[in-house]
Amino acid sequence: MKVNDINKLKATAAKCRQNVLRMIKANGSGHLGPAYSCIDIVTALYFYGMNVDPQDPSKADRDIFLLSAGHKGMAQYAVLAEAGFFDKSILDTFGQFKSRVPGHPDMHKLPGIEANTGSLGHGLNLACGIALGKRQDGYGSKVFVITGDGELAEGSNWEAAAIAAHYKLDNLVVFVDHNGLQISGQTKDVMSFEPIASHFAGFGWATKEIRGNDMDEIVAAIDQLPFEKGKPNLIVANTIKGCGFSKAENQVNYHYWNPSEADMALAEKELEDYLAGVQA
Amino acid sequence: MNDIKKLALEIRIEALKMMNHYGFGHVGGVLSVADAIAVLYGKQMKYDPKNPKWDGRDYLVLSKGHCGPALYSALAIKGFFPREELLTMNKLGTRLPSHVDKNKTPGIDMTAGSLGQGVSCALGIALGLKLQKKDNMVYAIIGDGEAQEGQVWETLMIAPNKGVKNFIVMLDNNKQQLDDFTDNISPLRDMRQKAEDFGWFAVTVDGHDVEAINNAIELCKASGKPGFINLNTIKGKGWPAKEAISNNHAFRGPAFAGVDEVINNLQKELEALN
Amino acid sequence: MKYEMMDAKKIIGETTAEEADLNPNICVVSTDSAPRTGMGKFIEKYPNRYYEVGIMEQAAIGVSAGLAVTGKVPVFCAPAPFVTARPFEMFKIDVGYMHQNVKVIGRNCGFNYSDLGPTHYGLEDIALVRLIPDVVILAPIDASQLRGAMKAMLRYEGPVYLRIGTAPIPKIFNDDEFEIGKGIVVREGKDVAIITTGEISVNVFEAADKLAAAGIDAMVIAMPTIAPIDEEIIVKAAELTGKIVTVEEHFEVGGLGSAVSEVCAKSFQVPVKRIGVPQTYLSSGPYEDLVDYCKLSVEGITETVLEFVAK
Repeated sequence: MKVNDINKLKATAAKCRQNVLRMIKANGSGHLGPAYSCIDIVTALYFYGMNVDPQDPSKADRDIFLLSAGHKGMAQYAVLAEAGFFDKSILDTFGQFKSRVPGHPDMHKLPGIEANTGSLGHGLNLACGIALGKRQDGYGSKVFVITGDGELAEGSNWEAAAIAAHYKLDNLVVFVDHNGLQISGQTKDVMSFEPIASHFAGFGWATKEIRGNDMDEIVAAIDQLPFEKGKPNLIVANTIKGCGFSKAENQVNYHYWNPSEADMALAEKELEDYLAGVQA
Repeated sequence: MNDIKKLALEIRIEALKMMNHYGFGHVGGVLSVADAIAVLYGKQMKYDPKNPKWDGRDYLVLSKGHCGPALYSALAIKGFFPREELLTMNKLGTRLPSHVDKNKTPGIDMTAGSLGQGVSCALGIALGLKLQKKDNMVYAIIGDGEAQEGQVWETLMIAPNKGVKNFIVMLDNNKQQLDDFTDNISPLRDMRQKAEDFGWFAVTVDGHDVEAINNAIELCKASGKPGFINLNTIKGKGWPAKEAISNNHAFRGPAFAGVDEVINNLQKELEALN
Repeated sequence: MKYEMMDAKKIIGETTAEEADLNPNICVVSTDSAPRTGMGKFIEKYPNRYYEVGIMEQAAIGVSAGLAVTGKVPVFCAPAPFVTARPFEMFKIDVGYMHQNVKVIGRNCGFNYSDLGPTHYGLEDIALVRLIPDVVILAPIDASQLRGAMKAMLRYEGPVYLRIGTAPIPKIFNDDEFEIGKGIVVREGKDVAIITTGEISVNVFEAADKLAAAGIDAMVIAMPTIAPIDEEIIVKAAELTGKIVTVEEHFEVGGLGSAVSEVCAKSFQVPVKRIGVPQTYLSSGPYEDLVDYCKLSVEGITETVLEFVAK
């Protein structure tokens, strides 16, 4: 991919981060850390890697994205809004009663949301079902999933891992947002299962490891899909939680952020400065 | 080793008798796990039949709880309760239900039946013992069909992180489950490798070679990590006509035809070892 | 009364295959629970619409929901406790909350697996699924209703849970007419109304005859849909008889009895006697012994109703 196209993607990711801040401002708080860590991947998928049409969100041959780690929902809302699936004004209702952008995504409320995630460990099995259904109908649809790393402790993920390999779902692509932090602290202190890739390899997956906030590496990984014919794809994306706001980077207490006015202003300024620099 | 081989034969004989008497039993899996249980109760485990809750004992969780008869036979042979009681299995009011129940049977450490649950409980026991700074061993036996349950992988994931050294999971890998061969349903692939990837000390052995099983346990104990033993077994081992054929998961009524001859042959093998 | 006894698993499998001929979207998901348990015909005919995942119920529900997202109509059939209690959260969220067109069949419900003990009994499945909003719950009374319920379920748009014991079940009704949400007055009466569900109902029909001989004129209502429940028929029965008895092979709390009690409490209060399984961990044993113990036998039901009416 050409350098200035990569720059465009980087700029789009920054604009999506602005959308995240817009939602947190509207609600007063939100999962900043998780949304920021995966938003580069989500941007790359919707603006580069996926065959989707904002004007026809349910077209039969579309690629599908599932945010298994549903608490990162703002990342998806931000990107869908930026891509034109719905009007940005809806973002201002984040967190309100009966909002179309609730705390965790709802497929019956917003175009572009394929499933109601939020409880960890559901996304991979849903994705397997979708991949199987699309294949049965003869579509080449790819199914992309983002999971958290702490989320992988849920046994249901390993059930899905076995299914995906057995059914040779090489149209299934899972990004593990490996940011090393969960609510109780560093993942490696709560529950360590490093290296993640080899766990999946043993189940029969093809794996790759990338820096999850590096747009070049994300795009390169997407370009190499499927990594091995007949094998589901796992990408361990080493991310920085809160990447995009210097104060939040790798800080456990920005997992769920209750911003002061000053903090929010700082976060906004960093993005404005970044955008000015990238476009230059 | 001779004693263990004899115990394994006796376990098979008693288990077949009790299942045949009741007219129903999970014959395939009971027979495939008999040798592992013989090694545990014949050599490895510390226990007191007169005091099943002795706090110095080692623990066994038969997570594949439907194979209760194999364990009951071992317990009866070792004196936890009279052998005659084996024939009461599943009768109303029995202390021996078809799936192991810790509140009913002396010597049973955990209730099981819904696959995948027992092994998590076993880890809990191991963690509790660690907290009390005790070095009793905790063993869990799972089936290969059972290993499809995500809950098993939760246990496999967490145990190495919690420093439980006195914990050994044995997989009765008899290649079949209820409806078909495991490989046709959801292949487990290389379980030894996967367990190792998840942080365990993992070995594969012939699940019917009692010496090899015993050595594997010793290696696990010496490793300083939780141990995983992948037992290569044959479902129905000990009943030649039923070994590894399809549909040998559970027998009812007429399926037991020929069992008397099998028991006789096992009896003869036992006598030959004496 | 001698009824023809039929193989429920076969009916499940046959109806699924027949409906699958008409609807190319129907597919089957199995947790090592299908080929030898009725679905053989479907698997033979439509191997590419059959998804065996192994012993993983949470995955099975999730995968079913995912298939439904792509427009398929998945049928997931396995023993009742393992499709309800075990993957409850997946049922609640992936199927209920997302309102997916998934059909879950809990077979071998009640004490069907009488040999296998409490881990394999399905005594709380109706109660659990009642707590998931918008899921239709069916418990057909006999072999004909099973066929009818299967068809209705597969043609209905939305999540459905169907529970059935799979030992041979009687064929009582002549045709397989089945309307979701409707109770059926099987016997008119004025002294007491017995509302029953599932294949244990055959004991109720016999008990009604015994009650008649003892001078008690019992109305009998078959209630094969537990959610949404037929409130109208319950209220009418309460108004007419003033006394209701419910019968189910399920805990006496949480299932049909509770659903009927809730309707009465809301709309027309009458005494309701719930006959079901006491909330305890019952030992394994022969099926008949367990049924006797819970007073779900013909004698048990007759005795209980006589006592209740006499009060």
